[in-house]
Amino acid sequence: MTYAPRAKHESTVSRQSTRMPDHNFRYWIIAPSVFLLLLIGLFPLIYSLVVSFQQITMTDYDTSFAGLDNYLHLFEDARLWQSIAHTLVITVIALPLELLFGLAMAHLFLEKMPGRQIFISLIVLPTVISPVVAGATWRLLFDQRYGPINQVISWLAGHEVVLLWNITPHLVYPAILICEIWQWTPFMFLILLAALSNVDKSLTEAAELDGAGFWRIFFKIVLPAIWPVMAIAILIRGVDLFKIFDVIWALTSGGPGTMTETVSIYTYVQGFQQFETSYTAAIAFLIVGLMSMVVIWAIRRMGLAK
Amino acid sequence: MSDVKISGLHKTFGQVHVLKGIDLEIPAGEFTVLVGPSGCGKSTLLRTIAGLEEVEQGNILIAGVNVNTLRPRDRNIAMVFQNYALYPYLNVFENIAFGLRARKMPDSEVRSRVHFAAEMLGITGLLDRLPRELSGGQRQRVAIGRAIVRKAQLFLFDEPLSNLDAQLRDEMRGEIKRLHQDLGITMIYVTHDQIEAMTLADKIVLMRGGVIEQMGAPLTIYERPANRFVAGFLGSPKMNFILGDVINRGSSHAMLLTDGETIPLPQRSGGWGQSIVLGIRPQHLERSEPITSVNEVRLKRTIEIVQPTGSRTYITINIGGAQCIAETESMEIGRPGELIELSFDLSHAVFFDPISGAALV
Repeated sequence: MTYAPRAKHESTVSRQSTRMPDHNFRYWIIAPSVFLLLLIGLFPLIYSLVVSFQQITMTDYDTSFAGLDNYLHLFEDARLWQSIAHTLVITVIALPLELLFGLAMAHLFLEKMPGRQIFISLIVLPTVISPVVAGATWRLLFDQRYGPINQVISWLAGHEVVLLWNITPHLVYPAILICEIWQWTPFMFLILLAALSNVDKSLTEAAELDGAGFWRIFFKIVLPAIWPVMAIAILIRGVDLFKIFDVIWALTSGGPGTMTETVSIYTYVQGFQQFETSYTAAIAFLIVGLMSMVVIWAIRRMGLAK
Repeated sequence: MSDVKISGLHKTFGQVHVLKGIDLEIPAGEFTVLVGPSGCGKSTLLRTIAGLEEVEQGNILIAGVNVNTLRPRDRNIAMVFQNYALYPYLNVFENIAFGLRARKMPDSEVRSRVHFAAEMLGITGLLDRLPRELSGGQRQRVAIGRAIVRKAQLFLFDEPLSNLDAQLRDEMRGEIKRLHQDLGITMIYVTHDQIEAMTLADKIVLMRGGVIEQMGAPLTIYERPANRFVAGFLGSPKMNFILGDVINRGSSHAMLLTDGETIPLPQRSGGWGQSIVLGIRPQHLERSEPITSVNEVRLKRTIEIVQPTGSRTYITINIGGAQCIAETESMEIGRPGELIELSFDLSHAVFFDPISGAALV
């Protein structure tokens, strides 16, 4: 008789004692991964923020603080703003073209056709290649002496044509854009193909019966349906294009002069050729700031957060 | 109002021959129901009429015009889809107005037509809602509204009620029938539900395996099925089929069931074969009454299963090795294991050839 109530009492105590740490226990469980994430994510960020206020160069040992000097210098650095302009030009031309070509190709491949799977795999190949390799390959293709592109143009023209694709000022941008669009249109193609094939077919059929033409069906039915996916594809490619480096590095190394120097290339040059470590950190922060604003604006504007 | 003439229509998907020579005439203003089990080609036939599938062989004439090569938008056809196919990003008003706007109709006309259709269907209060904010029945009305405003020459329905619950289905079925009476437009309706077919149709076209098994007025097909498949498909619970051997009894014939029972057979000009299938509908298997007619057949059987539905009760019994259902008044419920005396009038029976399944007249 005396034993039973005690046992009951004990059981409530033990239940309480297992429930109590429950609340904090979950934080302990995620603590290691949070710590790891902070270590590899936040630490470099904070470290480079600190560095951006110092005057470190790789050529001497001076690590004294420079205040806002690096940041003020950003605004006087014409080469930096030119590189941003170059990047924007490439982005503004390549992004819509990749989108349009990708969309058109995806639309063509919606229909069943013999060898469809094989063609899709072949089309996607460029995206799989490393951008440096793609750039190097195109450099060879564009080569003025051995490259097949000049050769084909010569055949078409009927006389020998020598186009210096990676040197002549008015040809370097087309060369870069061709390579870039060649490599990344398949990315758009693949994503938009998936999006398009998910559009409810009875909707387009109903619209067709309702008397709507191709463009009306596309803008009123198809586009709203694929927009969430398309917006993300645009965002990913937009950010990627703003960071463009490898292809240009392989094709022109930013030349002739600094004519095709993009932000990433300029940052690299400052950091690893001029060894201006602190200034490079300041550039990086400027870019992070700009990009964050643009991406947040885009996410709101595209209604992706909804 | 337009008539539809289909002749020698064939359609294949890869190796599958879906439509095998369809010949069909639908007079203007008629309500035709294409019915059959899934995979019989009824939906394909409808989609081919709409122009959503290409004609491979044969002809489709709408109002005397060959539409084989016309695009769907040029056929002036309205269609209600099984999943309603409402445009998810447009509100109800714009959904209904879509076809009118696509045809560049002036705004005032669009407005008056949409409001007219909305009033007719009782969805005026929903016009600024999005499809996802509507219930199944409301979506169905919007889909029908979209078809009405177009004033198309032909209405096509592709299993429009199959996504609705039973009660709503009964209600919408009545509305579709009323719609047809009010508008008088030629309508072609696809369903696998034989009750929808029976209740809605002026003419039923019963299909199986890409061919038309039988077509005609619902009651004609119901009473005089051309073959065993048709007889079994229409009616619920389905017709009972009893197999037996034909035996000579002097000048007349009789049917010998596997359980030893004999059923007299009516006189027939062509004579009977070796064996025969007798078809009798559950509602014709009645509890015996004292009054007897000349054609009456009486059977005494043990009740196996009793299924009351309220108004009627289904009793399962075994006749000649076949599970048969008798539909009786609810008052007469017996218990499983009890004997019941049933009778049917031979004039209600239909006889089929056991091999070909064709009805023997």
